[in-house]
Amino acid sequence: MQPSSVKGPGGITTSPSRARSDGNSVVGVHITRTAAGTPHGQPGLPDHAAGTAVPTEPLHVPETDRHRHRRRPWHQSKRPSLRTNRSIQRLVSRPADDSDAVLEDGSRIAVVGGGPAGSLFAYFLLRLAHTIDLDISVDVFEPRRFSHCGPAGCNHCGGIVSESLVQMLAAEGINLPPTVVQRGIYSYVLHMDAGVVEIESPVEEQRIAAIYRGNGPRTAVDMPWDSFDGYLQQVCEKEGARLVHQLVIGMERDGDRPVVITNDGATTYDLVAVASGVNSNFLSLLEPDAAQGRAEVSRTFITEFELGADRILETLGDSMHVFLLDIPRLEFAALIPKGDYVTMAMLGDEIDTDLIKQFLDSPEVQAAFPTDSMPAVCSCAPVINVKGPERPFGERVVLIGDAGTTRLYKDGIGAAYRTAKAAAETAIVHGVSAHDFDQHYFPTCRAIATDNMFGRLIFFFTIAVRKSRYARKAVLRMTAREQRRRTGLHMSGVLWNMFTGSAPYRDVFVNSLHPGFLYGLARSLVVGVRPSHPEG
Amino acid sequence: MRPTAQGITDGSGLPRYRPQQTEQPAPCEAACASGSEIRSWIGHVAQRDRTGLDAPEAYAKAWRTLTDANPFPSVLGRICPHPCEFGCNRSENDGALAINALERFLGDWAIDQGLGLDMLDSEPKAETMGVIGAGPSGLSFAYQMARRGYAVTVYESRPMAGGMLRYGVPDYRLPPDVLTAEIDRIRELGVEIRTGTAIGADISFEEVRCAHDVLYLGIGAQMPRLLGIPGENGPGVFTGTEYLSHVNEGHPVDIGTRVIVVGGGNTAIDAARVARRAGAEVVIVYRRTRTEMPAIPAEVDEALDEGIGLELLTGPIEIIRTEGKVTGLVTQRMRLTEPGPDGRRRPEPEPGAIFEMATDTVIAAVSQQPDWSALDGIQVQDGWITTSDLGLVDGAMWAGGDVRGLDIAGSAITHGRRAAEQVHAKLRGLTAPDTDRSTPIGAERVNFEFKETTTPVHAPHLPVEVALQNPTVEPTATITEAEFLAEVDRCFSCGLCMGCQQCWMYCTSMSFTKVADPKPGSYYTLSLDACEECGKCIEVCPCGYLEVAPP
Repeated sequence: MQPSSVKGPGGITTSPSRARSDGNSVVGVHITRTAAGTPHGQPGLPDHAAGTAVPTEPLHVPETDRHRHRRRPWHQSKRPSLRTNRSIQRLVSRPADDSDAVLEDGSRIAVVGGGPAGSLFAYFLLRLAHTIDLDISVDVFEPRRFSHCGPAGCNHCGGIVSESLVQMLAAEGINLPPTVVQRGIYSYVLHMDAGVVEIESPVEEQRIAAIYRGNGPRTAVDMPWDSFDGYLQQVCEKEGARLVHQLVIGMERDGDRPVVITNDGATTYDLVAVASGVNSNFLSLLEPDAAQGRAEVSRTFITEFELGADRILETLGDSMHVFLLDIPRLEFAALIPKGDYVTMAMLGDEIDTDLIKQFLDSPEVQAAFPTDSMPAVCSCAPVINVKGPERPFGERVVLIGDAGTTRLYKDGIGAAYRTAKAAAETAIVHGVSAHDFDQHYFPTCRAIATDNMFGRLIFFFTIAVRKSRYARKAVLRMTAREQRRRTGLHMSGVLWNMFTGSAPYRDVFVNSLHPGFLYGLARSLVVGVRPSHPEG
Repeated sequence: MRPTAQGITDGSGLPRYRPQQTEQPAPCEAACASGSEIRSWIGHVAQRDRTGLDAPEAYAKAWRTLTDANPFPSVLGRICPHPCEFGCNRSENDGALAINALERFLGDWAIDQGLGLDMLDSEPKAETMGVIGAGPSGLSFAYQMARRGYAVTVYESRPMAGGMLRYGVPDYRLPPDVLTAEIDRIRELGVEIRTGTAIGADISFEEVRCAHDVLYLGIGAQMPRLLGIPGENGPGVFTGTEYLSHVNEGHPVDIGTRVIVVGGGNTAIDAARVARRAGAEVVIVYRRTRTEMPAIPAEVDEALDEGIGLELLTGPIEIIRTEGKVTGLVTQRMRLTEPGPDGRRRPEPEPGAIFEMATDTVIAAVSQQPDWSALDGIQVQDGWITTSDLGLVDGAMWAGGDVRGLDIAGSAITHGRRAAEQVHAKLRGLTAPDTDRSTPIGAERVNFEFKETTTPVHAPHLPVEVALQNPTVEPTATITEAEFLAEVDRCFSCGLCMGCQQCWMYCTSMSFTKVADPKPGSYYTLSLDACEECGKCIEVCPCGYLEVAPP
């Protein structure tokens, strides 16, 4: 069943109703820019945030003065006595507990890392700043080029974007072009030793999109697609961010301001957003006061098989294939079709050659994907964030994306979006002190962390299923039954959301407590003890 | 897009990109005639922040590395046709590093600072060295022997040391005080230069031979060769070196108002430009096309800018004299043959295309030969000496520079150094440094994406009128310190680690460890125990220093 509103692999249709923002990051926002027009109806601001704008005294700054203020170099502005009228006004309307470390005209912001979190942060920050006529400059440091094929130009992930995220981006004005989406995925196939079941998208429009973070695998020269991360970079550049192709090799302090060090020298900034991910060692260079604690990581293994689009359609189709096999040390594995290539993503703490071989040689994989005939052209073993740092912020420093907090095991880009947006809104609306981030950014991180607790519960359940042939059969049976009838898609919905990351783990968990789910599961379990049943 | 490193596939079909650190020869160094370690001396400056040096310390270190091979950086920084820049991998991308301009800056900086050359071994040695000819080759040998503790005497027939650098290169290309400053530094190491001492006239060859344990012949190719055409004997006809030497010595030379220079090498261009500065209308006549001209292309361009004419595919056949005075040159139009078996196209006369060009003076800058008149008993072949590859003539006699065949000053310097290394090794029972150079690392291994696309520094030229009115003033300036620093930053350090940190930063298995005492080429140690063999480090390495290890 193909959702009717979806036009094809890249023709993603926007659904405004899904354009929801993370409420917790904008609660209590009081934006006043009455002189330059209210932000009502501005695309970047959620209505409930804009609606609370308090119409305090309008700005009576003559045009010429305003321009003079805007041209003043940032380092000449002293806080708070020389703050511009506009800044004072912003301060007045901000909640009393916000600090006075704020972004002003001429402020300079550095973003360390130009992946989705970095690009989206720069995008949101600049867009919000434009909304209130704040003149800031944003430098995004990213030494790699996502036009490069192979792991050096890639951000190492399975490359799955859920439809809900695609639509949220669309609502933000970021429409993924067809060249970025390698393949729309309409169903996923669950492989277990007990059998195989295909689950179609349980709810209309809950499609998933397969993308390449870089420009694809090593051998993919001159392919007609674009990098997802590269596209987001273009988006933030268009908004006015400056892309700096330099590796950041350290960060220091000049007074209370962070200093970004590259091979070319040091630059002082008013705010640094660290979007380095966890696959660079940049976080180890951060001074302890920049943020507290380090993200905990787990290892994954990702490889690309070159198979050709036709052959992929024959074997895997437009489906993501998930394997829940009873192989020790392997938590989870998936095969994702992308153009001429298939991405294999594996999750587990101790993935080594033996384990990979064991997986590829297993009858379940061999049945769906005979690997001996396919060359693996690219592989990497990136780590993923499984638990964020204790405190992903400091004075004028904020950690976003994987470097900060992310969703357990999947939808890292969705988490990058949420953290980037929350951090940008905090910086513009409240301030850039550690206190501001604690009050207005940290709740978003905590919400993700809380949801991850539900995720852990679900994965605990998954492991139980994976280890019990009896339970595996029950899940398979229930899903197959639902898929046949296309009604009461309880197990299907749970599995879909779990593997695609389309919904919060909490929702998945709550759905699994649904009477329908419990009844279906119980029924399937009971059926399972009757070996003569034809569904066995 | 550069092709990615070729991985190795193991039995399971998975690609394996196990890195190894391999220093590879740099193309600039492989192309450098004087054998200077270009990547290394640039690295001292470009990587000074990473090695904890301030700018003057880095310059001094760079200069010491440079002068280890070439004691004339200020000179070569001005006159060298810089084959290094043609070797530079960046030349295929956004323009070669202006290595020659960097060398000139460093050389001038050291002269300003009054830096002295380094001794390698101050222990005095018993053996003494005799050098005939104080040109770049002889002085290079003298320098390398003196810094190893040997007593060296250089015999020079002319009143001043420098050889062709002094008498064959016009002052606007090489100010005499720059040359003097760099020669004086060699003197400071204890080298005795006996100028005005001609072998045969002031001292016999035998006497010199007996006075020293080792003799080095750096006599150059001073004997002029004329064109071999009717009318060339008599006033109004000079060889290129003759003319340049007269001018450099300050003698007045009557060349009239119209001058034809025959030849396509640097001497021809120099002679033409000097004649132009003397106020003459000058035309260069050359048998082949511009492609075949051996002169430095930029010098040819500058000559044309100065209003010098260029008659290509033109060969001289007779000099016309009226009452003994030169009045014209009869020339033959040439054409190039199809490439022969050796790939070269030869000029051949175009039948019937003969024409006369009016002139007052003809300068024949076609060739020179060594002058053996004072050196008896030396075996020569067609006027040239035969030596081993390293310059050994026989027993304790070595030779280098133009006496072995016309070449640029950088080659002459290398001859001197190589011979010195051999002599020292032989006398002390050591092994001389290996002279073999394997194939340098190519542009396909350089990750050009690592640096922004930039154009090389270009020192401003004096306006042509000003340059012509000031015949001894250099038309180009030494680059500024800011330009120097910006230009060294363009270096990719092809084939050797420059400490960019990318491998360390992106390795998720922490296989790279920073060393405690970083220096160019040595920033990280690599341990493969935890390596995931993803090959990211190999792909991000801008220098091509990391490569796929064989299984």
